[in-house]
Amino acid sequence: MATTPRSGGSAGGGTAQRPNGTSQSKSCQFKLVLLGESAVGKSSLVLRFVKGQFHEYQESTIGAAFLTQTICIEDTVVKFEIWDTAGQERYHSLAPMYYRGAQAAIVVYDIQNQDSFQRAKTWVKELHKQASPNIVIALAGNKADLSNIRVVEYEEAKQYAEENGLLFMETSAKTGMNVNDIFMAIAKKLPKNDGANNQGAGAGRRLNENENNRQTTNCCK
Amino acid sequence: MVNKQESLMAAITFFAKAHAGEVCGSNGLPLTPNSIAILGRSQKLKELRHSNLCQYLDVIRGKHERTVVVSEYHGTTLQEKCKDKLNNDLILRLFYQVASALKELNEHKLVAHNLEPKHILLDAYNNVKLFNYGLFYMTKSGDHVAFPIGNIKYMPPERLVGIKNNCKSDIWSLGMIVAELLLQTQFWPNLKISSISRKILSFCQSSNVFEKIAREHDKLEMYQELDPDLRNLVEQCLAVKPTDRPLPQEILNHPLFVRNLDLYLVTPKEKSSTLLLRMPLEQIYYWWQLAGGDVQAELKKEGLIRSEAPILSIPQVVCLNGNIAGPKRSQSYLMDDRVVILKMQNLLDRLSKIPAMAYYPLIHSPKFPYNFGVGMDQLPLVIREKDIEYQFYRVRLFSRLLQGYPYTSETIRKEAAIDIPPLLRGQIWACLLDVIPNGSYEKIDKFTPTSTDRQIEVDIPRCHQYDELLSSPEGHLKLKRLLKAWVTAHPQYVYWQGLDSLTAPFLYLNFNNEELAFHSVYKFIPKYLQWFFLKDNSAIIKEYLCKFSQLTAFHEPVLAQHLSNIAFIPELFAIPWFLTMFSHVFPLHKILHLWDKLMLGDNSYPLYIGISILKQLKSTLLASGFNECILLFSDLPDIVMENCVVESQKMYESTPKSIAHRFHVVREKELGPFDITPDVTLAHLQKEMSPRISANDLHFMLRNDPNAMLCLDIRSVSEFNRVHLPDSINIPFSNINMDEKSLELLNEPLLEEKMHNRIIICISNVHENAVEFSKFLVECGVSRVCILHQGFNILHSIEPNILVSN
Repeated sequence: MATTPRSGGSAGGGTAQRPNGTSQSKSCQFKLVLLGESAVGKSSLVLRFVKGQFHEYQESTIGAAFLTQTICIEDTVVKFEIWDTAGQERYHSLAPMYYRGAQAAIVVYDIQNQDSFQRAKTWVKELHKQASPNIVIALAGNKADLSNIRVVEYEEAKQYAEENGLLFMETSAKTGMNVNDIFMAIAKKLPKNDGANNQGAGAGRRLNENENNRQTTNCCK
Repeated sequence: MVNKQESLMAAITFFAKAHAGEVCGSNGLPLTPNSIAILGRSQKLKELRHSNLCQYLDVIRGKHERTVVVSEYHGTTLQEKCKDKLNNDLILRLFYQVASALKELNEHKLVAHNLEPKHILLDAYNNVKLFNYGLFYMTKSGDHVAFPIGNIKYMPPERLVGIKNNCKSDIWSLGMIVAELLLQTQFWPNLKISSISRKILSFCQSSNVFEKIAREHDKLEMYQELDPDLRNLVEQCLAVKPTDRPLPQEILNHPLFVRNLDLYLVTPKEKSSTLLLRMPLEQIYYWWQLAGGDVQAELKKEGLIRSEAPILSIPQVVCLNGNIAGPKRSQSYLMDDRVVILKMQNLLDRLSKIPAMAYYPLIHSPKFPYNFGVGMDQLPLVIREKDIEYQFYRVRLFSRLLQGYPYTSETIRKEAAIDIPPLLRGQIWACLLDVIPNGSYEKIDKFTPTSTDRQIEVDIPRCHQYDELLSSPEGHLKLKRLLKAWVTAHPQYVYWQGLDSLTAPFLYLNFNNEELAFHSVYKFIPKYLQWFFLKDNSAIIKEYLCKFSQLTAFHEPVLAQHLSNIAFIPELFAIPWFLTMFSHVFPLHKILHLWDKLMLGDNSYPLYIGISILKQLKSTLLASGFNECILLFSDLPDIVMENCVVESQKMYESTPKSIAHRFHVVREKELGPFDITPDVTLAHLQKEMSPRISANDLHFMLRNDPNAMLCLDIRSVSEFNRVHLPDSINIPFSNINMDEKSLELLNEPLLEEKMHNRIIICISNVHENAVEFSKFLVECGVSRVCILHQGFNILHSIEPNILVSN
């Protein structure tokens, strides 16, 4: 697929959503993509993060779903544009369309399922090869509420994450454990250029989508 | 208790066992409520049809794990009847007919385990029907309920030590019932349950149970006077070892019955003078509900469902292990096995004015389609679906038509275009898809593990789980079998996530007929989703989405423009729409109405559904940027299905077929030189904002409805003057200034008026010019713009000549 949905912050001609009354703070937009094996809980993580909800019978995702959430860290308002992708291997060919131009990725596996961990490693490799070089990748071992029947050991995953320079947390979309934290950790790690506090000046500015520009497109306003 | 004239259907109710404490299973998913499991299992019972079995009609879930079972019911229970002495022939008749019922149950691998006089009904002809025989099965051998199933008095010894699911257990119960009747007494009327169970277990040491019981009840004389054959058969039934008891079939073949068979067989009933009562019971029950019948309300009236102020049952202490301290558990949660008759009077009144003709509509009569329900077809669909009279006419008509299928396909199609009665939807859809079951489903391997299993297994528990049937374990099993069968039957295809959603509506409608569900999916996919399930389906999906964009530009130019400007491409939102024919994006009840219409259209219909959804959201979409648009679709808001159906139908009917032409479809007719030719590639589609129209379609409109189109000929003036289409307008391409998006620059008087409500066909000899011009028109907001495929020159080849010159 040749088309890119939008890289983070690229202007859509639509209304810019900026929280009001934040003249002091910077505001940034980041494109974040969730990847991982089917039924590991990608959509549930997003749903917990964005709406604070959890559905036991979260429907499978076909193609991809899109949600946004805004959080504040220190003096910066960070808006995540989240692409939640389909997990089935067959939808793999669609994935580049979503991770292309993403500044962050959460690769999710299910701590009860060894295969899903292997699949997560494959995703990490692919991201390192294909995605933006500065992409921040977080590894999430989801379903941590079921740690009594875990198959993937915490230490094993942690070591893997360290070796590959990934953020790592075990999460539970069901209980909410570490869900906000992992997004926060990502937000902290994403570069928020100092030069980006030129609020308003950049509104409506159409940004290029090429690789060189990606870094600066992080913070658009 | 029972009003004889009126009793036809009755309801019983009980509570399923609530899960204690733990609400989640080891996989982290909530445990399926037992009432849901019961609901799923009980569906199968509705299919049983036997003259000695009451037909199951419905199983309903109430609040707090309540289950309500509706079934056929009439006559008197044996419990009532045996208060008077029964003559020998009647006892034999009963013996024979219950055995016949047990034979049927055995053939379906069912064991009643609750056979007792109050579950044996006798009608005015002394025909016997078993009642409530499915309780043991639907509760998974009683696992899903907290109460024991069966009357201990009629239980065989092995049952008391926990052996179950052997049909010989019912044979013992039958033996006990017959023994009681023959000895004209009730056994152990005053004994406590514990003493009865001791008695039964003590039979294990006895060589002749019947004799022992007779002796115990001072009936030895009577016992000895019995016909030796009969006595012997009862003794066999009461053999301690189940293997020594006869099978139902052996009872039926016993000389005792064979010599006077006519006495014991079911007497055919006289046809009721009330026509309604001749109708299939499931239809009667359906109309009964439409006539305002409410089973739960009936149960409330009889005090079987009692509601108490919730505050009275709030626990005072809840321990972490789930134990509760507080007010005593309400008595209303205990098992109450009373039977509540569902009264028919209201239904009879409501249908009293229905002409006799409507009960058995003659479809080949010159009077067909009569005037039944005339005018009602103008009412909104939801009203028609709830109208008792209208549904009566529709159900009767379709019942008739379905009986004549496949010879009646054409009439079915015609009638289905008006509407489809919900009761028969599954079967009607199958007809619309030209399904003719041939037994092949049975032969497909649905059990050998495959590499797809894992994916299917994780998808099923997420597929339309708000629905009770689909979330039941039985539903999961069935869906898994269907999906595996589909994958096995299509080695050229693979399982794509979404196939589950696509299959679900068919399973939902044909829950008891997996074969019909399977064949329906089997036919549905090539009809609407040919090659979508190829391992590499990207070419098919890309073509589909391109066509979708083009058709959007065709019908909704302004919207298409906007979406294209904000890079809101269909790839981002429409894949689940089309891959699952919307079954992944809408709840079942909406899909049903949508697919009612879809089934009548061809493979292009879904594209119009897609556009009608965009159309409904038009104002929001136009006012929104990329993020808002995509968010809108991530959580598709309440689309009004009725509008959606009407709109898509309109577009479908008003769009020439070639406009929606796709290469990747199953074609009934080979394409000719005047159709869209196969040299149109994906690259073309991607470049062209407006769709192409074939010379055939242009020619057809020219002959039949020239006012439906307006041809804009953009060749030069000299070319135009030499030869052109009648009534076409010449706007030479070289003169057009397309810098500003305004029609006025075309210098054509009254162009907008002329274009109004017509299909605008751009004709050129230079294809690129036509593409550019059509894009300009779309950008000016002109709707229904298309390009003549192969340009003006193709028109020269049409014979007889359609061109004129100045």
